[in-house]
Amino acid sequence: MVFQPAIIALLLASAIGTLMVVASVPFAINVLRRWDTASGSEAQLEMEKRTYLVSTLLVVVLASELASLVLFVFNADRMSSLFVGAMCAVGTLNVNEFGFPTLYLKIVVFFAAGVWLVLNHVDSRGYDYPLVRVKYGALLALAPLMAGAAGVQLAYFLGLRADVIASCCSTLFSGNTQVTSDKLATTAPEAALSLLALVLGVVLVLGRRVLKSGKGAILYALVSGVAFVVALEAVVAAISVYIYEMPQHHCPFCILKGEYGHVGYALYLPLFAATALGLGGGVAAPSARIASLAEAGPRMVRRCVGASMAGFALFAAVTVWLIVRSHLILIEQSPVNAILLNLSGGQP
Amino acid sequence: MIHLTDVRKAFNQGKSNEFWALKGIDLTVRAGKVTVFRGPSGSGKTTLLTLVGCLARPTSGRVRLRDRDISGLPERFLTDIRRSTFGFVFQQFNLLKGISAVENVMIPAYPLGRDPKELSERAHALMDSLDIGPKAQSNAEWLSGGEAQRVAIARALINDPEVVIADEPTANLDSERSRQFLGIVETLKQAGKTVLMTSHDPMVCDTAVVDHVVCLRDGQLVESR
Repeated sequence: MVFQPAIIALLLASAIGTLMVVASVPFAINVLRRWDTASGSEAQLEMEKRTYLVSTLLVVVLASELASLVLFVFNADRMSSLFVGAMCAVGTLNVNEFGFPTLYLKIVVFFAAGVWLVLNHVDSRGYDYPLVRVKYGALLALAPLMAGAAGVQLAYFLGLRADVIASCCSTLFSGNTQVTSDKLATTAPEAALSLLALVLGVVLVLGRRVLKSGKGAILYALVSGVAFVVALEAVVAAISVYIYEMPQHHCPFCILKGEYGHVGYALYLPLFAATALGLGGGVAAPSARIASLAEAGPRMVRRCVGASMAGFALFAAVTVWLIVRSHLILIEQSPVNAILLNLSGGQP
Repeated sequence: MIHLTDVRKAFNQGKSNEFWALKGIDLTVRAGKVTVFRGPSGSGKTTLLTLVGCLARPTSGRVRLRDRDISGLPERFLTDIRRSTFGFVFQQFNLLKGISAVENVMIPAYPLGRDPKELSERAHALMDSLDIGPKAQSNAEWLSGGEAQRVAIARALINDPEVVIADEPTANLDSERSRQFLGIVETLKQAGKTVLMTSHDPMVCDTAVVDHVVCLRDGQLVESR
């Protein structure tokens, strides 16, 4: 089972990535302990030269971690045909107890890697290595996370057994059990969509403020995180139902399948990118107080927030398009009316 | 303008053929003056020049341009400084063969995205001022040593740098051409440029246009006047 091209690629990517990051840890510790730009010592100059090499390697490794999340989900969906009972990625991830933990860890690594890449990019704009300690401090936190994700992923792939009867997504997202995923499915679609519209509206308002005044990027980052959770909730509770045109089918993974035009990727890619950029903008915001980043710092924050807003807007546009084109009437009034009614405390 | 503090430079460090080209140089280069690094072959003149011009990094020690440390700058900033602050005239001139003299002169300005017409006018004006205007369309490989050097000087000046760096500028020239070169240096000095040269040619070191001679031997500063 392990000898599938996608699994080999994922295992190799995570093994090489973890090796690279772990190999960078001694350098990171050295930077945290000994970095001193005022010194012209041989050791300091050696560190200044080596930081290019280490940063370049880490950029490649962490960018591959971003791509590996997409490949992991794509592979889980594609492999569902190999397991009895599995209809989509949910079945594949349920083959053993490491499937969903791997997915969650990879999502955490995705955001952590995205934030680190933004930090590294901002640092490279300053002439005096302004964020070098922050960057390598963050790497120390990232290393065990990546190693953990790689280990759990290895356990998951090694534990794949074709003779195991996997659970279909309907057992997790039918709304008839007490598991968390099922509770998400039971949320009323009006409430889920109203909350989504509200949070995305707040995101855009806050983002506009950041673009205009340069202030509020940290708040924007926090709200981006909230918007990510609310958007996933809306996908399970309402958006997926509109796509399947079946009121009892809430699976957030079946929308990735070819029979639905892989439309899930059009939802998830902008959402994940927007969240990562929003978080990155918040992390980069304090850099504006550093003299050498006084110009580049705010510029980077604006770029991150602007791109993040575009991602959330794209997610919203795809959502509206999916609802409008759907033949399912889940809410009697138009979604816009329902949202307005909900916001004003009325009943749709 | 340029301050060097305990600058050391090693080649092949940690290997059996490790060589320390500079062994702790403390030096200040003043703005608007002509400074010559003098010394025998292997004394570290060219190495010192490359460190000052951001073409190489010291193994230890700091090089500061005004208040900014340039010895530890990230590469992207070094490129900007090299392009805007320093103009280089290399010992072998390093002109690109197969393209005309004026194109060679304009090359360092291309990354700045300047207006091509203005750039061409400036290149021709510089070549005229150095008496090589008629050679503008000649290919680099057709030029004599003196002509090639003047093209190299025009190329060094195309971005209007504050500092002009010349490595052994008279090594390949006869006495007459060397005197012409020193005349150009005089003009640059009058224009407010800082000129840094390496040379072991007495004609260069003893000329009136030179303000400051730094003598090097075995990677150490032995005399400064």
